[in-house]
Amino acid sequence: MNKIQSGDLNNIREKRVHEIKKFKAALMVCAGTGCVSAGSFKLKDLLEKELKERNLDNEYMVVPTGCNGFCAQGPIMVIQPDGIFYQKVKPEDIPEIINKLIQGKYVEKLLYKDIETGNYIPKMENIKFFGKQQLIALRNKGIINPENIEDAIARGAYNSLVKALKMKQQDIIDEVKGSGIRGRGGGGFPTGVKWEIAFKTSQEKNVIPYIICNADEGDPGAFMDRSIVEADPHTVIEGMLIGAKAIGASKGFVYIRKEYPLALERLEIAISQAKEMGLLGKNILGSDFNFDIKIHRGAGAFVCGEETALISSIQGKAGEPHQKPPVPAISGLRGKPTIINNVETWANIPVILDKGAGWFADIGSGDVSDSPWNGSSGTKVFSLVGNIEHTGLVEVPMGITLREIIYDIGGGIPDSRKFKAVQTGGPSGGCLPASHLDLSVDFDSLTKAGSMMGSGGMIVMDDKTCMVDVAKYFISFLKDESCGKCTPCREGLIALYQILDRITKGEGKDGDIELMEELSQTMSLASLCALGQTAANPVLSTIKYFRDEYEAHIKDKKCPAGVCKELISYSVNENCTGCTVCAKKCPVNAISGKVKEKHIIDPELCIKCGICYEVCKFDAIEIK
Amino acid sequence: MIEIIIDGKKIEVEKGTTILEAAKKLDIIIPAVCNREVVKAYGACRLCIVDVNDGNEIKMVTSCNYLINKEIEVFTQSDRVRKTRKMLLEMMLSRWPNVPMIKQFAADYGVTKPRMVHPLVDYSENACILCGLCVNACSEMVWEDIIGFAGRGENRRVVMPFEKHYEACIGCSTCANICPTGAIYMTDIPNKPADEKRIDKFGMKITEEMTLLDDQQCRMREVGTAHLTEIMNDYDLLPTTNYRFGSHKEAGKLHSDFFKSKFTQGLPDGCWLGCTMSCAKSIDNYELKSGPYKGQKVLVDGPEYETVAGCGANLGIFNPEFVIEANFYCDTYGIDTISYATGLAFVMECFENGILDKEKTGDLELIFGNEEAAMEILHQMGRGDGFGIIVGQGIRRMKKIFAEKYDLTDEQIQFMQDIGMEAKGLEYSEYVTKESLAMQGGYGLALKGAQHDEAWLIFMDMVNNQIPTFADKAEALHYFPMFRTWFGLMGLCKLPWNDVEPADNAETDEPAKVPGHVEGYVNFFSAMTGKEIDKFELIRQSERVYNFQRVFNFRLGYGNRKSDRIPYRSAGPVTIEEYESRAERYDKQLIEKWNYDIEGKTSKEKRDYLRKMREADYQKLCDAVYKRRGWDDNGIPTIEKMKELGMDLPEVVKVLKRA
Ligand SMILES: Cc1cc2nc3c(=O)[nH]c(=O)nc-3n(C[C@H](O)[C@H](O)[C@H](O)COP(=O)(O)O)c2cc1C
Ligand code: SF4
Ligand code: SF4
Ligand code: SF4
Ligand code: SF4
Ligand code: SF4
Ligand code: FES
Ligand code: FES
Repeated sequence: MNKIQSGDLNNIREKRVHEIKKFKAALMVCAGTGCVSAGSFKLKDLLEKELKERNLDNEYMVVPTGCNGFCAQGPIMVIQPDGIFYQKVKPEDIPEIINKLIQGKYVEKLLYKDIETGNYIPKMENIKFFGKQQLIALRNKGIINPENIEDAIARGAYNSLVKALKMKQQDIIDEVKGSGIRGRGGGGFPTGVKWEIAFKTSQEKNVIPYIICNADEGDPGAFMDRSIVEADPHTVIEGMLIGAKAIGASKGFVYIRKEYPLALERLEIAISQAKEMGLLGKNILGSDFNFDIKIHRGAGAFVCGEETALISSIQGKAGEPHQKPPVPAISGLRGKPTIINNVETWANIPVILDKGAGWFADIGSGDVSDSPWNGSSGTKVFSLVGNIEHTGLVEVPMGITLREIIYDIGGGIPDSRKFKAVQTGGPSGGCLPASHLDLSVDFDSLTKAGSMMGSGGMIVMDDKTCMVDVAKYFISFLKDESCGKCTPCREGLIALYQILDRITKGEGKDGDIELMEELSQTMSLASLCALGQTAANPVLSTIKYFRDEYEAHIKDKKCPAGVCKELISYSVNENCTGCTVCAKKCPVNAISGKVKEKHIIDPELCIKCGICYEVCKFDAIEIK
Repeated sequence: MIEIIIDGKKIEVEKGTTILEAAKKLDIIIPAVCNREVVKAYGACRLCIVDVNDGNEIKMVTSCNYLINKEIEVFTQSDRVRKTRKMLLEMMLSRWPNVPMIKQFAADYGVTKPRMVHPLVDYSENACILCGLCVNACSEMVWEDIIGFAGRGENRRVVMPFEKHYEACIGCSTCANICPTGAIYMTDIPNKPADEKRIDKFGMKITEEMTLLDDQQCRMREVGTAHLTEIMNDYDLLPTTNYRFGSHKEAGKLHSDFFKSKFTQGLPDGCWLGCTMSCAKSIDNYELKSGPYKGQKVLVDGPEYETVAGCGANLGIFNPEFVIEANFYCDTYGIDTISYATGLAFVMECFENGILDKEKTGDLELIFGNEEAAMEILHQMGRGDGFGIIVGQGIRRMKKIFAEKYDLTDEQIQFMQDIGMEAKGLEYSEYVTKESLAMQGGYGLALKGAQHDEAWLIFMDMVNNQIPTFADKAEALHYFPMFRTWFGLMGLCKLPWNDVEPADNAETDEPAKVPGHVEGYVNFFSAMTGKEIDKFELIRQSERVYNFQRVFNFRLGYGNRKSDRIPYRSAGPVTIEEYESRAERYDKQLIEKWNYDIEGKTSKEKRDYLRKMREADYQKLCDAVYKRRGWDDNGIPTIEKMKELGMDLPEVVKVLKRA
């Protein structure tokens, strides 16, 4: 492929749009990690084969796409331009899908069924999960083939780069600053301000700064960044190019975790296609701007996502945080000013340049016209998981309420159970109770409430969840992931874990809560990096909002949610019909009783496995 | 300077000072477990936290790595700080209840019994408290990176790679010495010193000086001796075209920056494992342009200053690549770079003066700057053929061969004596000594021949004028050769003596002797052997050997005044061209020092007068030195002197009786 000039982008776009228009419809097969593991590559091959056999391959095209965010229902397939949405597609459905397609109809059984009305909803846009979302970072998800740069260009990729190449460096920075965008990787630091620091420092010191894209994404259960890279790698590359132009960098790194093979592959393909076209490398688009991207594979520890640890790791040293200041924007990679931004942050940049700072600033909450610190503009991608109908990936405007996300988009709590708490912000985030459902989801409100935005994890918990157990779970994770360098984080987490473990075993003591609060305070004040500084959030927030639950464990030796094994007992109540199912399933034969007579559980034998509770159809097993 | 307030007390500090350092100046004590001046602040223990009011907010920071860059107010004992420190100490004490240091700090903060039960409690008094000092010391002080942390969180521990004993550990014991708890200790010290602790104390002192001061002083670890080239050129001491001049406009091409950019390994490269100075350097993947290994990529060990100055400037070759190539082939053939360079410089000057020509050199145009011919001679020396056979025999023999073989005039023969830079048959190393009489003595009076390793006095003598009289110079030519001989006796390297100096060296009585280090060596000897000595006995030890060597030389026909003669090139300008190139300097000296009326005198007349004076001075210097050393007029140790030293062995006395 020849290196292209700015003007050629239009031609490529028009050519590709024209090519696509020749087809009657496009079958967009989701090829994100979730759907791939559910078999979507096979679907794609079969679809292609079937179309070919029926001589329809000139009329319909098959496009593998990135994640649609609805992974639990995968494999997903969307038929464009109508937006017909199929879920859980199986290979045997293919002939019928094509039959209906030719007739202009759809296969009903593959459609999404509304939870409230029970009606089938054929079009993606009418599904509430998608309807309430606003896509900026994920604007191309499911719409393009991420392995085809022309698809991305057809959707406007690299237009903003063309714009940036004509702008003064400070003007680009001002645009980003004006948009109010704050980092999506956890810290929420205003991106434009960071760029300005790096730009000014490198000018003063007369050195060439670096750019880093943080795609480490170590939060358990989070896959926002992976999905962006898988669905639209070019937006990340374009974002980095714009950042590089703004601060005068000529070299960039993407730090991506090894466990993301698909994202890695797509990124490699995207980079090599961009290089071939002259969108990366020397004299980009015929200008005098040079920029190259190198991929660095991360070894996997959670703490390596912390920026100073990440930089150490790129330099071949132990992935261990370092004291800030100096912040990387002043002295980062190899001692040079370095801007490190999260994948999602980078993905927003081209749109900000395209549509303007004002457009972006108007989305979200607060008024960022004076300072990015005054609000949270734009959208945020969340991975919505836990006890919720629709688990998946959602992009919503900042300022939306937790309720809207959990109920309108997420479809509420399954099995008609009650909402108990939502944990936001990744492992060191906090748990917010039902009274906070109308909290605005933005950086500052979440922090004020004792949680945080983090990188966008959102775990919904129903009333069967024990909050002490939840705190213990996160503390246990953090205890193992703390790098162990500094005293408060390392020892504080060990101590918190010990205490929580005791409490959940019924060995809680008076003063435990206060001791945990003291430990937490020291951790947040004295820890070296943000991991330790925020690590006590799960404990502090659960103490704050669910103190009675702690007290029940400590004083009454009871687990109100019936989770902590040592604190519960199983018994049979009056509902028992004597069906004997439980007795048959009990692994230790702790249940006895005659047919059609009330059964009893021998507490000496019972190992509290919960099987009887699960299998009893008459709600006759009680946990106390 | 910035004025800050700590606990209500004001102090002015330089920008970039840490709060911990500033507090120390005010005698305010902040507990700082993981911090030492010699390693970079690691920030792990967090005990050194303080509250800082920077005008906007009060925030808690670690004082060991907070750099002061504006006016701030610091509180080292606020309630919040005390409470947080107390909690940190409670955490530590729960894990390491018996480590004295932790116990002490904890007691200071009123913690005696922690509320937490630690799953990994370690009752040892020598438990590792994860301060990181050993890891950072091994990396930053020793440049070895042998130990590191493994494991995260509660599994964090100090290990060698793969948690096995790692052969590459040089056993320097720096980690053990810096460890605050004794968690690391030496299991075996093979050479069994009499007093291990005393050795450690003085050893650590040198290691700490290297770590803290070398970067500001000689940069021996970073660039090695190559950094001398630019200094010597600046002081007109860099020999160019056979010591005719001391500087050259193209010398910048041989700047150490170039070699530094070529040095590849970035590892400590010392002559022995554990050398903290480790000034050796090497270049990897150098592609040879000539000789039997042409085209191959090789490792070149060097270059050092002498090689750069000799093979570069002294041959008039200002091409660093040539220096590297010559360095490699000299090493490979087993030829000393100094002898090659100084010998060839002599040959080139002979060639340019008609003593040699192409016919005699086997068609080699051996003029200054001719890289190709210079390299060919080196290969011939290695192979043992062509004119190389003659050059390889050294200057003393070349002078004889040329005089015997070629039809030379007396003038030409004298010229060879003047410019052939050897004494006692050994080629000069690479310093221009013309303006330093003491240094002429340093070369000429050295027992083994023209080498500067007995005394390097140029700066003391010429630059700083610290030894103006003959007696001063003689004292220096007594003390330093004896002192430096002692390194040879002990098998030690001289460089750590004065290529890094204690920070307060300039304020001592005799900075040139580096008294702080002399004390170190005295202690080193005493601690190693168990035999107490003082700095005078140290010199006596050398004197015994030195005088014995002189007698030995005498027995072989060398140790006398005649054998201490030096070529005039090392004492003054041989040619008119040389005189005129520094005419101002010489004219001034003729007038001021010798009251010589230069009015109407030709350069030749002035040169001849200067020569007479300088040659006489050299003899006077010999007189003074012989006297100081206890030798007779002919430079031979007296029997009384040998008696005084306890070296009046019958064999020695027998030899001396002949004198
Ligand atoms: C323990 C820890 C883990 C982190 N992991 C990530 C991560 O996986 N991805 C990320 O973008 N930022 C992560 N961060 C935040 C980074 O340090 C940094 O703030 C971020 O990459 C900056 O980009 P942004 O301003 O665009 O958010 C982590 C921070 C901490 C303390
Ligand atoms: S706070 Fe935790 S993760 Fe961060 S440096 Fe300290 S021990 Fe490591
Ligand atoms: S399964 Fe339920 S109803 Fe049946 S015997 Fe057991 S407790 Fe009774
Ligand atoms: S909880 Fe498990 S062990 Fe206990 S009675 Fe029920 S099935 Fe048996
Ligand atoms: S003995 Fe020296 S080289 Fe070995 S680990 Fe300790 S400091 Fe490093
Ligand atoms: S071994 Fe000693 S110096 Fe090393 S970390 Fe442990 S306590 Fe610190
Ligand atoms: S991978 Fe297909 S919807 Fe997420
Ligand atoms: S001395 Fe500052 S953190 Fe240990």
